[in-house]
Amino acid sequence: MRRFWLKLWRRRRLQQDLEDELAFHREMTAEHGNSLPLGRGGTETVVREQAYDQWRFVFLENLGRDLVYAARGLRRSPALVATALVSLALGIGVNSTVFSLGMEFLFSEPSLRDASSVVAIRLGGNSHSTERVLNFVRDSGVFQDVAGNNEEVFVNWNDGVDTRPVFGVATSMNYFSSLGVPVEYGRGILPNDPKEVVVLSHDFWVKHLNGDPAILGRALNLDGRACTVVGILPANHRTLIGFGFSPDLYMPSYLDATLLAIYARLKPGMSRGEARAALENVAQQLDRVFPEQFKYYKHNQLMAVSGVARLTEQSEMFSTGVFLALLLGVTGLVLLIACINVASLLLARAAARRPEMATRLALGAGRGRLLQQLLVESSLLSILGAACGLAASQFTASMLAQIRLPLPLPIHLRIEPDWRLVAYAVFLTVFATIACGLLPAWRSVKESIAADFHRDRGMRLRRTLVVAQLAVSLVVLFIGFLFLHNLGAAGAMSPGFDVRNTLRAEIHLPPATYKDSQHINLYAGQALRELGAIPGITGAAVARIVPFTDNTHFSSDLVFPSSGKTVRAVFQWNAVSPAFFQVMDIPVLQGRVFRDDDRAGQHVVVVNRTFVKRYLGNQPPIGASFLWGAQGKTPYEIIGVVEGTKTMTIGEEDAPQLYETLTQIANNRPRIQFVLRSAIPPAQQVQPVHEVLHRLDPAVGTEVATMYSSIGLAFLPSQVGGVLMGTIGALALLLAAIGLYGVMVYSVARRTREIGVRIAIGAAPRDITRMVLIDSAQLIGIGSAIGLLVALLIAKPLAIFLVPGLRPTDPLSFSAVLFTLAITGMIATWGPVRRALAVDPMTSLRQD
Amino acid sequence: MAKSTEPSLLQGTLDLLILHALQRGELHGFAIAQTIHLLSDQVLTVEEGSLYPALYRLELDGAICAHWGVSENNRRARYYEITKRGRKLLAAQAQTWNRLSTAVQIVLSR
Repeated sequence: MRRFWLKLWRRRRLQQDLEDELAFHREMTAEHGNSLPLGRGGTETVVREQAYDQWRFVFLENLGRDLVYAARGLRRSPALVATALVSLALGIGVNSTVFSLGMEFLFSEPSLRDASSVVAIRLGGNSHSTERVLNFVRDSGVFQDVAGNNEEVFVNWNDGVDTRPVFGVATSMNYFSSLGVPVEYGRGILPNDPKEVVVLSHDFWVKHLNGDPAILGRALNLDGRACTVVGILPANHRTLIGFGFSPDLYMPSYLDATLLAIYARLKPGMSRGEARAALENVAQQLDRVFPEQFKYYKHNQLMAVSGVARLTEQSEMFSTGVFLALLLGVTGLVLLIACINVASLLLARAAARRPEMATRLALGAGRGRLLQQLLVESSLLSILGAACGLAASQFTASMLAQIRLPLPLPIHLRIEPDWRLVAYAVFLTVFATIACGLLPAWRSVKESIAADFHRDRGMRLRRTLVVAQLAVSLVVLFIGFLFLHNLGAAGAMSPGFDVRNTLRAEIHLPPATYKDSQHINLYAGQALRELGAIPGITGAAVARIVPFTDNTHFSSDLVFPSSGKTVRAVFQWNAVSPAFFQVMDIPVLQGRVFRDDDRAGQHVVVVNRTFVKRYLGNQPPIGASFLWGAQGKTPYEIIGVVEGTKTMTIGEEDAPQLYETLTQIANNRPRIQFVLRSAIPPAQQVQPVHEVLHRLDPAVGTEVATMYSSIGLAFLPSQVGGVLMGTIGALALLLAAIGLYGVMVYSVARRTREIGVRIAIGAAPRDITRMVLIDSAQLIGIGSAIGLLVALLIAKPLAIFLVPGLRPTDPLSFSAVLFTLAITGMIATWGPVRRALAVDPMTSLRQD
Repeated sequence: MAKSTEPSLLQGTLDLLILHALQRGELHGFAIAQTIHLLSDQVLTVEEGSLYPALYRLELDGAICAHWGVSENNRRARYYEITKRGRKLLAAQAQTWNRLSTAVQIVLSR
């Protein structure tokens, strides 16, 4: 410490002192007639340096000087810097973005107090249970507390002018207090609150209420009830579901029919294993107390809601995890390519600076000192690259967060930098520095002292790097191409109905006014008439389910009395009005579709082609009738066969489908969906349709969209996957091409002298070209072979992400990748060869 | 090879000699070199290449301290003075040296 202050104290005067002192020494020596040997030439400088060094912060000052030197050197080669920075920024930027996306999806903590002690409970394999069951579990005393929510509740909000559906979560009264959900302003819902309270999301508050804090304590008109706003959630509120799901508000569940997903807080010290065992007991008691209900003792689940345990215990998270792991792996490869790029660039630069290094070593520079300087240079480069990368990823992340996904659920991804991202980026930077800096630095120092015959080894290293780069690029490209091809295949697939000329309107009737199917049918009939009268609308129908927005499937025994056979059938169910098939443009293959007079009497159904093929065998479908379930009494008659549609994802296999007519079922659901066919572009019909529905009953929540925009969800997984992977594949190609070009340019440039010799002794330019091209072709061949092998190995597990019919060993992707790589390699070789040929042999001979 | 008969300083002994020379009072660099030269019956020669780095190191270690003064011929010179710490160091180094040289003597005499 004392030395430190002493150094600081004397720093400024040091040099002058030393000068004066040495001058004095010289004078004295001269006076004493050279009785003492004065330093020989040059010694004085050494003395000065050595004495001076004692008093300096040698390491730091050297570092500073190295930095200045490195910056100056880098400024002199802007092409190198640009290439390296672009490489690293893309590599690190893409990685950070994917990393934050993956983290948000997989590890985002729900906003709860001590989330690690909260578990999700599924009884009897049901995701949701009645409040009675929930209370039973709470009263069992196994858990510290039990709460529930239904995360899919539409509420009609009347702001005095318009009524619109907003997305709510219905909760048990103790939800906020027992789970400890943090609130930004006001408070959460308290157990002894009345049912007419509401907690708003930050987004909803800002967007629809202008972020006015005075809203606290005031009432909103929700489903005709005046609900007092008691609290506002923070902007970074994350729901228990995760995945960026952002509902507009939380309110107490007030309808008995609302089913709740059960969440429980474990007692301190209780493990999930113990809790699971205790839950089995509770489930068995449930079966004894409520014998008329579902069977609860089977398929009980108790799962963590956060952290790594959530991934391992919730099965549906698995494929998401695999996809993101894959994505991260692929982006890691991209970063590797970027690093190899920079490494070969620095290597080339290091070789070009061999004379400089040799000179400095000869003048007495320490090897460690030179290494330090080279490392400083590459660190500077990679830190700059990391900074660019982080900036790039921030930019893309905020772009991603802004995108409103065309989904029926409010999804808002909150991608923010957190310590994990920072740690990851720092890790990448260090990795990049070591990969890019150490190797070339070590080589250049070693090479400079070694004689020329080591040059071959240097070439071999660079060639190994080229081969490695080619192999990695091929793997990344292959995956990218595969997913692009997948995207194309998915886009070309038809959902089985017309999405271009149709619209969808979703209606939420206030349950208080529309109590039963009579009221609902009355409304629906009137709405259909008025909608059909809109100019340009050529058809209107009601459907219980519009494909891709919802689905209901049954697994039942169908008994055919005519043959006495019983078939176990699994099928997608829907109930529609007669015009549905015409509006959706679903072809009728046999028989007829529903008519308005299919009301009382015979129950009629329409099935799809797959249903006939799978469950009717050789039986003629039209006129066949079956009983639904072993105890079924009503015969259902098949009156028509239609073409199938997709139901949930565009890539799914064709499923059996069964349609009933709405007039023959209890149509008591307050949620109604209209489908409309338009002769003019459907986007122009959104406004008129909305107006008609609003005029009909202003208290009804209405949402109108073109079919294409409202079923975006179906196209999403393969689209997002395809776009992400395709982008990364293109990125990899770009990086690989840059790197390949750089290395080829350099390796040909190093052979300039050899080429000069060859021309001087009579080689024709054609021979030279052939020689170099064959050389690169060899490299490309070896690299591709290795890459192909690896790609084939990893291709198998990719099959789960692909549309049916597309195999991972898809020859089209393979040949496209190989072709791309070969072309890039050849172009990268061609330029430098031409340049080498243009050089005068004499010049190139004198060069070394 | 004839030149090598002139004894050169052993590594580490320079500090000892400098501290010893300063024991009698403050001296400037040139005088230190001269003192050592004279005290060793003109056998040992301290080159400025070793002297000044050694002086700066000792100063940094706190064994000596320096100030600017006026020399006997009225020039500005930098005077070095041994500190308390330096005396301790000198004692320790002298003892080490004595043991070492005695040991060497013993070896050579057998």
